Amino acid sequence: MKPKSETNKIFTRYDINVEVARQTARKVSEDENLQKVADCIVSGNEDELENLVKSILHIKEPMEIINGGLIAGMKEVSRLWELGVYFLPQVILSSDSMIAGIKLCEQKLGRPMEKKAKVVTHTAEGDIHDIGQVIVNALLNAAGYEVINLGADVPVDDVIEACRIHKPIIVTGTALMTTTMTAFPKIAFGLKQINLNIPFICGGGAVNEEFVTSFDLGIWGKEASQAPALAEDALNGLSWLEMRTKWNG
Amino acid sequence: MKLSNSMAYKSAKEMIFGTALKPVKTKRGLILGGGYVIPEIVPHPRPGSEKTIKSLLREFERANEDALERCVIVGIPAIQIENEHVFQMTDNPQWGMEIAAQTAHQLDEYYEKYGLKCSYRSTIADIRKPDQIDMRNSERTDKIFEAFKYSSKYADIISIESLGGKEIFDYSIIRNDVTGLLFGQAVLGGRDMEWLWTNIVDIAKNNNCIPGGDTSCAHANTAMFMAGGFISKDIPQTLAALSRAISVSNTLVAYECGAVGPGKDCAYENPIIKAITGIPISTEGKASACAHMDLCGNLMAAVCDLWSNEAIQYTDMFGGSSSAVFTEILGYDAAALNSAIELGFQKQFQACLINSDRYRSPHSFILCPDNAWAIGKAVVDNNESLYSRARAAALKSGELMFNDPNLQFTAFEKESLTKYIKELEALPDKEDDFIDMCLKKYSKVKGFKPSSYNL
Repeated sequence: MKPKSETNKIFTRYDINVEVARQTARKVSEDENLQKVADCIVSGNEDELENLVKSILHIKEPMEIINGGLIAGMKEVSRLWELGVYFLPQVILSSDSMIAGIKLCEQKLGRPMEKKAKVVTHTAEGDIHDIGQVIVNALLNAAGYEVINLGADVPVDDVIEACRIHKPIIVTGTALMTTTMTAFPKIAFGLKQINLNIPFICGGGAVNEEFVTSFDLGIWGKEASQAPALAEDALNGLSWLEMRTKWNG
Repeated sequence: MKLSNSMAYKSAKEMIFGTALKPVKTKRGLILGGGYVIPEIVPHPRPGSEKTIKSLLREFERANEDALERCVIVGIPAIQIENEHVFQMTDNPQWGMEIAAQTAHQLDEYYEKYGLKCSYRSTIADIRKPDQIDMRNSERTDKIFEAFKYSSKYADIISIESLGGKEIFDYSIIRNDVTGLLFGQAVLGGRDMEWLWTNIVDIAKNNNCIPGGDTSCAHANTAMFMAGGFISKDIPQTLAALSRAISVSNTLVAYECGAVGPGKDCAYENPIIKAITGIPISTEGKASACAHMDLCGNLMAAVCDLWSNEAIQYTDMFGGSSSAVFTEILGYDAAALNSAIELGFQKQFQACLINSDRYRSPHSFILCPDNAWAIGKAVVDNNESLYSRARAAALKSGELMFNDPNLQFTAFEKESLTKYIKELEALPDKEDDFIDMCLKKYSKVKGFKPSSYNL
């Protein structure tokens, strides 16, 4: 039976109907070399970026490259993503490139670049589905945070201990399964017991707002893409309760 | 292991829901793929119930009982129940066994009391995380096999959703890297499945249990969920479609090692698998919206033998428990499909299912029976290696997508697809060369251990 070509009474392709005009990245620097660095970030070309950074580290200060090229380029990437022009892989590739570029600059500086703040991320005990956490890590890295990545299937006590040692501005928890997200209230309880009132952002798979807001410190993160904005709120001094009110109502 | 070199079905026109060329008979006489569609209900325990074996047993007891009872209440003639292990059931294999024993006993009771034709699939959890352990030699690996041994004593069918190659897949999918998908899914996932299923088939034989099948859920479904619907900006639909086509290479391995079906419900690649092997398949679509969305809710029933809901968390609803409600939904879906068979309208009904979703997305497009068959043909015609057949499947999918003017793309999807095809065409022809290239390219991926795959 020949397939029907007219389908508008069967479904609507909203993605095609609302597709945004294909915007391109804006110029971020008058300096030719720094603009080239930013271009490599925007296109996510890690190999080319590494070669470029190595070559211009002879003529420019590392911090100038970081601020004028790497971070400026990453801001353009974030703008294009927010506009819906870029997809996640483009952001991840740009983030990989930025991290590689910063590493080279740090070698020349002889010290690590100062990060905005520390964040601790983990995937719940008994849960090995960590792709959501991987995305969160990349986005927080790209936004300038030092990510203490505890990985997947992390025991409750290990998360609490990492928070005690690192004193992060937020801790995140990812879980795909409803039967593993039950670790989250235990972590929140443990943190409160040692007086660490750190906003605890929980998300992934079957995790929902009702569950996360049923325990102190919990803030439900609907999408991994919200992680940098949530961290920004914590950095600006919002308490877990203020953040919950803002993000979860 | 001999790689498939021919198609079970001579053409897509021969493929229909309810009938498979190689039907499977279960312990209580229920035949899967024997002429009618059977609903497959998958209840899932509530958070907190996994704390003790006692609470988990009670949770499954209630969920299974509600499903079986609803069958009798609304007159559903046959049912398959699947219990997918939560982590704790495989991590404590004894738990999995107790739940399997209890479920089998419940089915026996309904079979004896009402004559309800029923069967039971136990799906063991793959608790190996590729970047954290040696896939073939770890305490968790031992527990998986122990869980298979225990659960296969009671279940009709055993299955797994294996995770081989997941570390490379996860790294690649968020980097728009189709080469990494080929390597992670076909080369690594396929090798892991060969090792795993050689052992699973032996265990099943020893316990008179049916070795069901596997799925590329860990890969291609991750891609499908990330591609999402018409709002998501995570990955392009075209990449998810290619990941699905590639997944045929690894999912097929389970059957090449002796699994006989029914294929796992979450394996959206199953229409292609059925075209190649003739085994009965379970599929899911609109009734699995309780677990995740997809863009092929009706289409996936087009060649199904079992019709599933993926997983529904046990909870109260206005119409009864979720387990009962979804059993009823699946039961009526199956009744409509079976009515079409009885009336001789099955091809017309199938056309309705296909036309509902054929052009809804690139992913659904490649899973239509005609395209599924064509992709299967590319797989068997390029069977020099797991890699070569996966690459051929991906290239054939791209060709099919580009050649049908009715299939629409967003600009990014089209650009991406053009890039993927170019990249695939430029790859080496020989698997050994491809592996050498990838071992270098992905050597920096955290936790990747080639030895886990005997490489």
